[in-house]
Formats: sequence, structure tokens, C-alpha cells
Amino acid sequence: RWLASGTLFPLSCIHTSTSLSLQKIGKWEKKNRIVYPPQLPGEPRRPAEIYHCRREIKYSHEKMWYLAKLIKGMSIDQALAQLEFNDKKGAKVIKEVLLEAQEMAVRKHNVEFKSNLHIAESQTGRGRYVKRLRCHGKGMFGMMKISRCHYFVKLVEGPPPPPEQPRTGLEQAKEYVQQLRSRTLVHTL
Amino acid sequence: VLVLVRSPVPRLRALLQRCWGRLERGLWPGVFGGQSPPWGPALAVQGPALVPEGINYASGSSTKALSLLESIVWMAAPKHRRTIEVNHCRRRHPSKLTEIKRNIDVCPECGNLKQKHVLCGYCYAKVKEETRLIRMEIHKKEGGPFNTPVVETVVLYEGEKPTEKDEGKRIIERARKRPSWFVQN
Repeated sequence: RWLASGTLFPLSCIHTSTSLSLQKIGKWEKKNRIVYPPQLPGEPRRPAEIYHCRREIKYSHEKMWYLAKLIKGMSIDQALAQLEFNDKKGAKVIKEVLLEAQEMAVRKHNVEFKSNLHIAESQTGRGRYVKRLRCHGKGMFGMMKISRCHYFVKLVEGPPPPPEQPRTGLEQAKEYVQQLRSRTLVHTL
Repeated sequence: VLVLVRSPVPRLRALLQRCWGRLERGLWPGVFGGQSPPWGPALAVQGPALVPEGINYASGSSTKALSLLESIVWMAAPKHRRTIEVNHCRRRHPSKLTEIKRNIDVCPECGNLKQKHVLCGYCYAKVKEETRLIRMEIHKKEGGPFNTPVVETVVLYEGEKPTEKDEGKRIIERARKRPSWFVQN
């Protein structure tokens, strides 16, 4: 009876093809996909930018922020050295992320020297929290939250930018004098 | 972040109320060293005026007691919420940021990073592994605990013979080439 089933139902095995993963692809991951138009011959070379992140790290985002702040603006070698001798749990995670990003840069993003990278941005964000019961004595209990965080990093090719010089008194004085000199009368002849 | 569900204030209040009740009823006379409680009437005066006073006194004492109890249970608590700007000023103060370490060097032996006052981690791990293998050989030779001989030990690698200095010493053989960092004698 069902001999012709093959011809009658050619699409007998319809698998609703889901996307690569049911998870949404985050904004930071999408930043690697932008393609700039080719540069004109006269323009200076645009430095390569590599975006990398790690999601749902079992650590607090406030504590991770201190490490992210430490690394901001350093060259990648200096950052790796600092993280290696830091005792925090997040330091190990960030080091792994940086090494991954460095490898990605060399393989996929056409970076010539793996040491010629510096950290332009390093941010943390809070991940999903989970509330759990924490039992105290005498039948009392409290609710604790198990916190997780994300870590985002942007590597840019080239030496790190020089650190901002603090504003000297002379500069401030010059600006003040300039301000005074640029005063005019409005709505007059 | 922990949040206690039951506050201890009503418990303490209940306890103090019970103690106060006992004092009033005279079930706890030992407090005042045998004397009569100070709130009892010193003079027994006849008259109807005292009766309503007594009732008022009872109600008055209870309200006074409650207010006294609540004033005893005063706890310091924050009055206003600290804004995130204020919190940031405190948490991100330069004294609280992690300092950058300036005592990191390169190990001349293996080329890994090391702190100036600490041994190189890679070289230490290498030596630790070799020591573990030597100790395994020693264990095989001894066979059990408390069998250590009272002589020195010498470790010899492939192709090495014991010299005149190693006359009375115990020899441990390792089946590999001598590592460059393990200098002989």
C-alpha cells in the first residue's frame, strides 16, 4: 500500500533546521563581522580591530572590573605579564581570553606581529544571577545570589597610545587667558 | 548579599516584656536586693482616688515600659540610599585599584616570566617532576618505609660511572640523559 510513499511524500523527513544555536549572538561577537570598503591609495592604513568576549564567567562583575581597569591601555605583553602574577580568580580567565584573542588576530584578522597589539577597550558586564537559599542557625535563612559576569576585550594593532599627561598649571593659566581674550560684545556695532 | 528574613527586634521585645511582667508580679524579687520594688506605693492611703489611679498606673506603666523597651532596642541603620555615583567614588578610588607590578622579569634559563624575588615557575615545575621520578626510584630500591640507609645518595644517569668520591654512597640510577641543569658532583 505504501510503496509509493517515497514519491508521494518527498519531504518525508522535514527537520526544522534551527540556526547554529538557539542562543542569540551577542552584539560584541557581531562586531567582528563588519567589513569596511577597500581603502583608497592615499589613506593611512586602518589598524586591525579584534573583538573578543567570554560569557557567563563564574565571578562577580564588580571584582572583575578592577582587573579590566588594570589592563586598559596596556600592550598585550604587559597585560599578560600583569595578569600572570595577579592572585585573583578573574586574572586567569582574562589571560585565557587575551591569548585566544591574540591567536584569532594572527590567524583570521591578518595581524602580522602578535606582540604589536594593544588593548583599546576592556569591559565587564553582569551575567545572569541565580538566587539560592543560604541556611543560618536557629532555622533562619537568607537569600544569596550566585553572580556571573561577561568580559569583553577589543585589541587594536599597533603600539599602545601614550598615557594622558595630567593638566599642568601653566596650561590651565593659558586657557584662562585665552578665554578672557576671546570675550566680545554681542548684538552691538 | 544576605538578607535575614526574621528581624530580632520582636523576639527581644517579647523577652523583655516577659522579664518586666515577672518583675511587676514580684516573681523576681532578687533584682533589688531584697527591698520592695520602687514602683510599689510607699504609703497605704485610704480613698477611692487611688483605685482609678491604679488602673491608669497599670496602663501608663505598660505604655512607658513599651516605649522604654523600644528605646533600649535602638540600632544604627542607614537613613538614605547611597547613589551609584557615591558608591563609585568609594569603590573606584585610586587607593583601591590594583597596582601594576614592576618586579616582573624574564627568566634567563627558560625565557618565561618570573617575579624578581620568586623562583621561575616553569623551571621549578621541571625540577619538581624530576625529583618525583628520583623519589620513585628510591622507593623501588627501599621497598617500604623506614628502610633509609645511613649513607649519602648519588643519582647517576645513563652512561655514568661512580667516581672515587662516591665510594660508600648509595647509587640511584635514572634511565635518561643527564638534564643540563643537574650538574654532576
